Amino acid sequence: MTAAMSLGAHESATQKAARQAKAFISIMTVVMVAFPFLGMAFQGLGLDWDIGDDDVDSVSNALAYITLALGLNIVVGFAGLLDLGYAAFFAIGAYTYGIFTAYQIMPEWSAFWDPLAAISLVEKIHRDGADVVHFTLSFWIALPLAAGISAVCGVLFGFPTLRLRGDYLAIVTLGFGEIVPIVFRNVKSVTNGAAGLNGVQAPSLFGHSFQVNPKPYYYVGLVLVFLLVLFSVRLRDSRIGRSWMAVREDETAAGAMGVDHVKAKLLAFAIGAAFAGMTGVFYVAKLQTATPDMFGFPVSVMILVMVVFGGMGSVWGVVAGAAVLSLLQTWFLPSLTNWSHGIGEAVGNRWMQKVDFAGSTELIFGIILVMTMLYRRDGLIPAARKQAALSFDAQNVQGVVRGGFNKAAAAKLLRDMPKKGGNLLEVRGVTVKFGGLVALNAVDITVPAGGVVAVIGPNGSGKSTLFNVITGLVQADGGSIKFDGAEVLGLKPHEILERGIARTFQNIRLFSNLPVLTNVLIGQHARLHTGVAGAVLNLPSASSEERTALQRAKDIAALFGNRLTPRLGQVVSNLSYANRRRVEIARALASQPKILLLDEPTAGMNPAETLELAEQIKSLNELGLTILIIEHKLDVVTQLADTVVVLDHGEKLTEGKPAEVRRNEEVLRAYLGRAATEAAHAA
Amino acid sequence: MTAVDVYLQQAINGVSLGAMYALLALGFTLVYGILELINFAHFNVFMVGSFVGLGMLELLGVMPNDPALTGLTLVGVLLLTFAVTMVFSGALGVLIERVALRPLRNIRGPASMITTIGVSYVLFNIVLLGFGADAKNFPSPLPQVQFAIGGAVLRLREILIWVISIGLMGGLTYFVQFTKMGKAMRATAQDPDAARMMGVEVDRVIITAFFLGSALAGAGGLMFGLYYNITSYVIGFQAGLRAFTAAVLGGIGNVPGAMLGGIIIGLVEAFGSYWISAAWADVIIFSILVLVLVFKPAGLLGRIAPNKS
Repeated sequence: MTAAMSLGAHESATQKAARQAKAFISIMTVVMVAFPFLGMAFQGLGLDWDIGDDDVDSVSNALAYITLALGLNIVVGFAGLLDLGYAAFFAIGAYTYGIFTAYQIMPEWSAFWDPLAAISLVEKIHRDGADVVHFTLSFWIALPLAAGISAVCGVLFGFPTLRLRGDYLAIVTLGFGEIVPIVFRNVKSVTNGAAGLNGVQAPSLFGHSFQVNPKPYYYVGLVLVFLLVLFSVRLRDSRIGRSWMAVREDETAAGAMGVDHVKAKLLAFAIGAAFAGMTGVFYVAKLQTATPDMFGFPVSVMILVMVVFGGMGSVWGVVAGAAVLSLLQTWFLPSLTNWSHGIGEAVGNRWMQKVDFAGSTELIFGIILVMTMLYRRDGLIPAARKQAALSFDAQNVQGVVRGGFNKAAAAKLLRDMPKKGGNLLEVRGVTVKFGGLVALNAVDITVPAGGVVAVIGPNGSGKSTLFNVITGLVQADGGSIKFDGAEVLGLKPHEILERGIARTFQNIRLFSNLPVLTNVLIGQHARLHTGVAGAVLNLPSASSEERTALQRAKDIAALFGNRLTPRLGQVVSNLSYANRRRVEIARALASQPKILLLDEPTAGMNPAETLELAEQIKSLNELGLTILIIEHKLDVVTQLADTVVVLDHGEKLTEGKPAEVRRNEEVLRAYLGRAATEAAHAA
Repeated sequence: MTAVDVYLQQAINGVSLGAMYALLALGFTLVYGILELINFAHFNVFMVGSFVGLGMLELLGVMPNDPALTGLTLVGVLLLTFAVTMVFSGALGVLIERVALRPLRNIRGPASMITTIGVSYVLFNIVLLGFGADAKNFPSPLPQVQFAIGGAVLRLREILIWVISIGLMGGLTYFVQFTKMGKAMRATAQDPDAARMMGVEVDRVIITAFFLGSALAGAGGLMFGLYYNITSYVIGFQAGLRAFTAAVLGGIGNVPGAMLGGIIIGLVEAFGSYWISAAWADVIIFSILVLVLVFKPAGLLGRIAPNKS
């Protein structure tokens, strides 16, 4: 992933790790492909190790769990949506195939079915003295069909519920997971109720039915795992994967950076559901039966345990977690039970003779879940490799740089700016109320294209609310905001960013657990176009777009000299306060804005750093970028702004050139109080 | 039975169920109000409470299918059983908080919630392995006294549930509203950091919330056994989901809301089962949960605890 693309001394270590991982995966692939025949190989070598059909079947089950865990990982790990009813989608997929191949719904035969029989979707059978229809949906059609149906169910269920806060979503999904099997149990005519579907058809390939031979199922499972791993890895490293992680880390900031969070969540939910639906088809085809009890809460918990134990968000971790836990269940625990009984008999311990570990699988899973959360929250193979902090020397290679950004470099990274002269942003009569509190009262502000307008005012005067209403984070109770001639009031935050309004936050809202580079890449979300198909198929357009985006992100970081470049691979939460401010500005610049809204950008910086940043902002403006800035440090305001707007108690107090505003009595009174004003006069 | 009698009977059943759900909902609400955490372990603290009650009754020599007790013996047995069950369940809640949740308290994200699922699952499976999958008969020490109200029947067990529930909820309301600890609890729910700076021992508040909530859940579990004369390792899941729905319906974090929500959900279950089918009861209740969350997430009585996120 992008995090691995660090610089300098870390490169060789990460590359080495990547090479080792690649070698390991290659070896595992060979072993997995050869696995059903290893028994013969062992016997050929004279070893007494047998790989029987039941072993192949156990591993096939493990493969099914790996695909389920990979799907849940997209929902829980990537997008951060805790889904406790994931098995419901598994059930929907399973019943899609089951209902259309079992002997359950058998309408009377009529001419209508002839064309369907010709493409072998149905066959005519004789039951109880009449010709009836037996559905014979092909396994290979059922796989994508079930994926599609599950995804649609995911979207239908997710649409109303994904707006809910994370913890509510958990309980709603728990309920959903509970009722889907109830529905399958209650609609007896379609599903045969609790007794379940019988005679689900085995898949066949080139005219050969799989029957009950475990080997073909094993290979189908292996191919599914292979495809879904590829799918997961490519999505994770794409624009889509980054948008999920952005939503997971900070929904508000994701919106302000151009990510449509409802769409991102629905997509994660649908893709996760599709994985489960496909696995459902595979699973019932293998078992040739489906009952509602196969898809209850314990299954959802088991898949969750696999994801958590493996490492949420880590594709290989999840594969390992699911493999280890499902083989623990089928191989290790029964053996452990036998050993314990043997030792118990030898030493005369009654408990050891009686204990049944295999029957306690769920208990053991529960304990593993709690222990993982308490002692190894990142799981077996953590998603992000921890990067060592920079050495003292590396941190201090560069002091304060004067003179602003390198204009030639910055010019290439900004888009063509609107012509100077017109008004770029016009706020007219905007009012915002929070209950009885009027945060903004009919405020008018005009920002000319290419200008710098500073907003000042005491704390609580409505400055940040002004930014929030411009960027769509709070709703206005009246007024109009025109940007580049078009109304933006009422648009969603991501739509406003797309128009070219980017912002930073007073309290810094970065995606804290993601590296600097990824943060800046997410800023480009609205300017990139790669979709799921492009990312998964690794289309040339997608990969070239990704390469360009990566280079842009590095170039933007490089504007800050040596401040960010050595830290591109560092997780943002490890950075200093000033550097986090810089990352936030870099992220906003990455969205190629026409106007940049900076909310106290120099807060928490020392005077030298403040001066450095002020000059950098100035240089952006000189390249044509329009700037609206909230700032408390009046020397910064004087240095930068063409116009200063003073807010107090949600109303515009005055507006003018910095020097005028500094002398304005009302401003002095608002800031310093009456006594101070009088003292100033006296002096 | 006339239609009115049937409705009256369903109302009696519904209010009795609702009283149990309300007790369970209070535990969700207390913990959520303070920690903004959905405590899934609470589901099975209720179930464990029912088994503790069963054990206590049998320890006192009251076996399933024994004749009913009367007079002071009955009162004594019930008081002792309720007391032991509630203390045990409360202690279990405190243990869960101390061992599994406190280490994660300052971790962002779903870590704590996932842990409570794990704990819940562990409790569930311990009882399953220890007592088996079969439903257990529960002693019924209550005399078969019943009153006819028109064609409907009001049994002593229902009266008992109502009386005990009202008593416990009244006690809790008094505690939260009028004691020093209750005040500390409300302050912590508003803003834990500010409360800590004002000298509130937040750890103690949290432990108290877990103790009280779990004790009420234990009492609910015992009532479940006395009401249905049966218990099983699976009862926590259904009852828990319903009680959580009740808490959300009333306004999570809101103590009177949990009680109101509990009664409403009990009535919905009773009438829904009668009008539609008991097999669809879960589907109906779940639909209510989704509708409330989507359209009125603050619940009927609103949230007392502000949204801290």
